[in-house]
Amino acid sequence: MTDTPEAVDAPHNDRLSSGVAGLDTVLLGGFVKNGLYIIQGAPGAGKTILSNQICYRHAGLGGRALYVTLLSEQHERLLANLEQMSFFDAGKIAREIYYVSAFQLLERDGLAGLLTLLRREIVAHEAGVLVLDGLVAAEAYASTELELKKFVHELQTLASAADCTMFLLTSSGIGTDESALRPEHTMVDGIISLHDTEHGWRVERDVLVRKFRGSDHLRGRHALCITSDGIVVWPRTESLPLPAVRRPRDPAAPRLSTGVAGLDAMIGGGIPAGSSTVVLGPAGAGKTALGMQFMSGCTAEQPGLFLGFYETPERLMARAQGLAPALPALVARGAVLLKWYGDAEGLIDRVAHELLEAVRARGACRVVIDGLLGFKDMTVQPERIPHFYKALTDHLRELGVTSLCTAEVRDLTSLAAVAPSPLQRLSTVAENLILMRHVEQAGEQVGELRRFISVMKLRDSAFDPRLRSFTIGEGGIVLDDAGGGMAFVPDAAAPGT
Amino acid sequence: MAIILVVDDEFGIGELLEALLQDDGHRVLTAMNGRHALERMAEARPDLVISDLMMPVMDGSVLLRAIRDHAEYKEIPFMLMCALPEASIADRVQGYDAFLRKPFKLAEMSGVVAELLKPRVPPEG
Repeated sequence: MTDTPEAVDAPHNDRLSSGVAGLDTVLLGGFVKNGLYIIQGAPGAGKTILSNQICYRHAGLGGRALYVTLLSEQHERLLANLEQMSFFDAGKIAREIYYVSAFQLLERDGLAGLLTLLRREIVAHEAGVLVLDGLVAAEAYASTELELKKFVHELQTLASAADCTMFLLTSSGIGTDESALRPEHTMVDGIISLHDTEHGWRVERDVLVRKFRGSDHLRGRHALCITSDGIVVWPRTESLPLPAVRRPRDPAAPRLSTGVAGLDAMIGGGIPAGSSTVVLGPAGAGKTALGMQFMSGCTAEQPGLFLGFYETPERLMARAQGLAPALPALVARGAVLLKWYGDAEGLIDRVAHELLEAVRARGACRVVIDGLLGFKDMTVQPERIPHFYKALTDHLRELGVTSLCTAEVRDLTSLAAVAPSPLQRLSTVAENLILMRHVEQAGEQVGELRRFISVMKLRDSAFDPRLRSFTIGEGGIVLDDAGGGMAFVPDAAAPGT
Repeated sequence: MAIILVVDDEFGIGELLEALLQDDGHRVLTAMNGRHALERMAEARPDLVISDLMMPVMDGSVLLRAIRDHAEYKEIPFMLMCALPEASIADRVQGYDAFLRKPFKLAEMSGVVAELLKPRVPPEG
């Protein structure tokens, strides 16, 4: 079973739920009732599954649906495939959902005959949803473009008069320029395109709403999966609407301890509540340790969530025994939830959705994302990452969360730990920026690497700009005496500058 | 079986109503505006007129007045259809027997048609 996204907006009275919560979110509540929609996509893109989900959802809410096939799948094959899906309910067939084949009639009586059949069947079954599977076959029986347009227009009139929302399934135009205008495209109320796109060796599905009359919608492509629950859509995180009235930034916001006393002293007592922090540093610099120590400040009343990509929860807890000894007990008591995404080919929007849902459900106040590069490694669109990260932290901020994200950079063993793109842009988006790095020692200690931490920026606050050396031992990170600090040189060390 | 005249300039409405009313057993005449409707009425006197309001050449309100002023036609039931709410046209159009706002529902249309085709009881006295 998949943790399917809940729709942001509950379906309105004038909307028809698609049965796919993520798609309802993209459509800002569902399809506009009594509209006429095209669902287009190559064979295997998921048109049949999506349209059946719409039918079963409608039937589940007490309505009736009519599924008319034209030279497409035979009904027994169609039903055999649907049986694998959790939304399928054989008890609804021939009661609330009717499957009708109309190809022979189309062959004999043409589009006029098909229209008469549709009208009579809709009225007879009091169907509130009609799916016409195989628009390509109907197109073949239109002698001119005008005739096809007239057919679609008459369907639209029927949709309004019969109180019926209609879906035309087609693979027409797929493989060519899909965005090219086809005669029927001008007539319908909406066009939903399903894609299955190759990215090197990877193939990913997405959905794009090309046209949607009568309502706004979330534009652009959104990740789509076909699971045993049917179609699941993960709206693109950057497209998710934020509240119209944003949570105000409070310069006097309380400070949350990082769990490292010396670091807290450098930043005026802790991280400003509700802000986003990025911790940059090479492997082994202590970023995860800092994240675990920050999580150790969670309580049952102020719970937290630790999201990681590389270390399993078991390994993380084993490390916490030495670095953040309070953390395992907090996890055991439920004050901290660990989420781990080890899939090499996951979906970043699914991760973001599940993170935000968990934050909402638990009322989490602190979130650590350990390894922002995990998002970059996961996605086939790495150029999205800065925008994705900004959107994710904006949503976390609106939920009142103080976030701390770690990101690995090259270990240059120097003060100028320059972050690679796209992390360079991340550093400009983050409100607070902390650098951790190794520095080779000069003099008698030549060849020895020491760890240093520095604060590059802090939201609305003054901070100690010096480099501070630190050690990681039992109990985690401990900063050395302030007397060992070195002046920070922004031009040499700042990523993205 | 009744003869019903459907008057609408919009493609699709006439076709849909023609099919619906034929299924209910009626004979259906269609016209694309008021003047065209009067020509069709000269061919066969309808038992009911269903007309859109906004049409070119002659609109539904002029057609309605023409019918009410006509000695032979004035008793014919007249159903007016319009995309606007009835209250917003009340000051412009009077004398119709039923009003349906577009987009109408098939079941609603069938019900109103059946009601208008019922034999009328003549007023007492």
